[in-house]
Amino acid sequence: MRYLTIALAKGRLSELSVEIFEKIGLDCSEMKEKSRKLIFTDEKNKLKFILVKASDVPTYVEYGAADIGIVGKDTLLEEGKNLYEVLDLKFGACTMCVCGFAGGKIPSGFIRVASKYTNIARDYFTSKGQTIEIIKLNGSVELAPLIGLSEVIVDIVESGKTLKENGLDVLEEICKLSARLVVNRVSMKMEKARIMDIVDKVAEKVK
Amino acid sequence: MLKWKTHTPEGALDILENECALKRDVEGRIKNIFNSYGYFEVQTPTFEFYDVFADESGEVDQTSMMKFFDREGRIMVLRPDITTPIARLVATKLQGAVMPKRISYIGSAFRDGDAHAGAIQKEFTQAGVELIGQNSPEADAEVIAITIKALLDVGLTEFQIDIGQAEFFKGIMQQTGLGSDAIEKMRQLIDGKSFVGIQELVDEYKIEDNLKQLILELPNLFGGMDVIEIIKNRPLGEQAKKALDNLIEVYNILIDYGYEKYISIDLGMVQGLNYYTGIIIKGFTRGVGFPVCGGGRYDNLIGEFGKSVPATGVAIGIERLISALSYSGVKFEGTPEIHTLICYDKSRSTAFKIANGLRSSGLCVEMWLGGDNANEYAKNKNIGGIVKVIDDENIDIVNLKDGITTRTSIFDLLGGEEI
Repeated sequence: MRYLTIALAKGRLSELSVEIFEKIGLDCSEMKEKSRKLIFTDEKNKLKFILVKASDVPTYVEYGAADIGIVGKDTLLEEGKNLYEVLDLKFGACTMCVCGFAGGKIPSGFIRVASKYTNIARDYFTSKGQTIEIIKLNGSVELAPLIGLSEVIVDIVESGKTLKENGLDVLEEICKLSARLVVNRVSMKMEKARIMDIVDKVAEKVK
Repeated sequence: MLKWKTHTPEGALDILENECALKRDVEGRIKNIFNSYGYFEVQTPTFEFYDVFADESGEVDQTSMMKFFDREGRIMVLRPDITTPIARLVATKLQGAVMPKRISYIGSAFRDGDAHAGAIQKEFTQAGVELIGQNSPEADAEVIAITIKALLDVGLTEFQIDIGQAEFFKGIMQQTGLGSDAIEKMRQLIDGKSFVGIQELVDEYKIEDNLKQLILELPNLFGGMDVIEIIKNRPLGEQAKKALDNLIEVYNILIDYGYEKYISIDLGMVQGLNYYTGIIIKGFTRGVGFPVCGGGRYDNLIGEFGKSVPATGVAIGIERLISALSYSGVKFEGTPEIHTLICYDKSRSTAFKIANGLRSSGLCVEMWLGGDNANEYAKNKNIGGIVKVIDDENIDIVNLKDGITTRTSIFDLLGGEEI
């Protein structure tokens, strides 16, 4: 039997994914050992788990280097790859928001928007019919309005704590986010039985 | 030196001797299969007016077309596919042709976007067939059968051809009475097999219960013929039922071809619905994360060029097919090799005659153009042997495998043939 490869986003999502996989009887013991390994195997079920950067999960799955992936909806929206997005795993729940100074609202007219998620930001403001300039940042996005780099930011909000501590707040919600299980389009066809077996069992657990 | 002088653009590749020989071999085999079914090759221009591809039902988005201007400022594109130019050709140049008309093609097509060697290239080779002038299950089954035959002939064994029906989804959507925006949303979710998203959407639009059930099943309706058994007894409207019957008929014809083991069904195949008007085809194999072939029935396309004719066809992606072949370890026999190197000091005309004699007996022969050391050159290139021309009658044959040199006559070498 051929190995099925499952790509997991490094960090908290992979830990939560491992929890679910163990509940449905997959062997993830190798992954729980502290190590710097990037590939882990479950010999009994002929599975390989690979740990990759979140934004690379859709790429691995689209090209078929991984058959299945678990990744946040934010990454899927931002990367826009051609995949089957079969399950909402419910965990990792948060919201994609436009944020700015507390008590304010999004200024009308031309504004600058700082974000890690440039595609999501562009799509959102285009759909509102507002012309913007996107400023791509890679971290500490909250800083941008504070020092005048941009009027607002587009970012993921989980508890809102970081925002509050910096005098910022959510101005508009763009969409709800959570972890998704994605499948390569060819793998789904060539390995339907094995993949759907995993999908159905996981679906049962996250109901 | 200019920065990009020594690079090829992303998505465009140099193909070296061995790969090139393999590619030509694969193309040649496929061309022979096409010919043997009566599909003869045509060629259309590599670039055409943008207008040819710009119709709303076009399969290719304008952002993925590679465009430029001619001297009059008209927009030109490198052809993003070859079916559309053939539709133009049929509507304009083949008006009096006997129908059905069978046509094949093989050539480069171009699409801009992300590139990934082997799977997604900006310049890629398509080989395909079009069966024009007939809307029948036999016609659809024929192009599928040719595709299977071609894949088998190049050595692919483990592959699967999915067939779906564009009218099936359109029919069900018509039953729901949804507007076109809602239908497009639904189409995207079903295309993405997004089970949760579909559930949310059918709830939002308050679709009646039995139809709702059917729509929720759609992304799951792929696999063997049992899929059809499941769906047959559902509350299908006229259009969806007709589509299903058509699919079953095509499948039954493919059984008579003896190809049922390569066929599976996918009723959730809903890409390119503006373009396809019946059967939709996609081929999958291991080792390539993308379809190796695709096609279907497109009865409205030729009409956009002024003459309404039904048609169906399939295109095979040659680079993806080659990736799949190398993944599945298919051995390729035709790697180019030099059999003999000919050296001479005097008797140049005799040397040329010997070379030609050996070439006409099917060997691949190189002439030594002078330089350091012929033996070493031949060894490094894996050439089997050297013929050293001594004079107009005698030669030395050096066997480079065992290093033994034999003196013989030209007469003996060429088996007494006139030289």
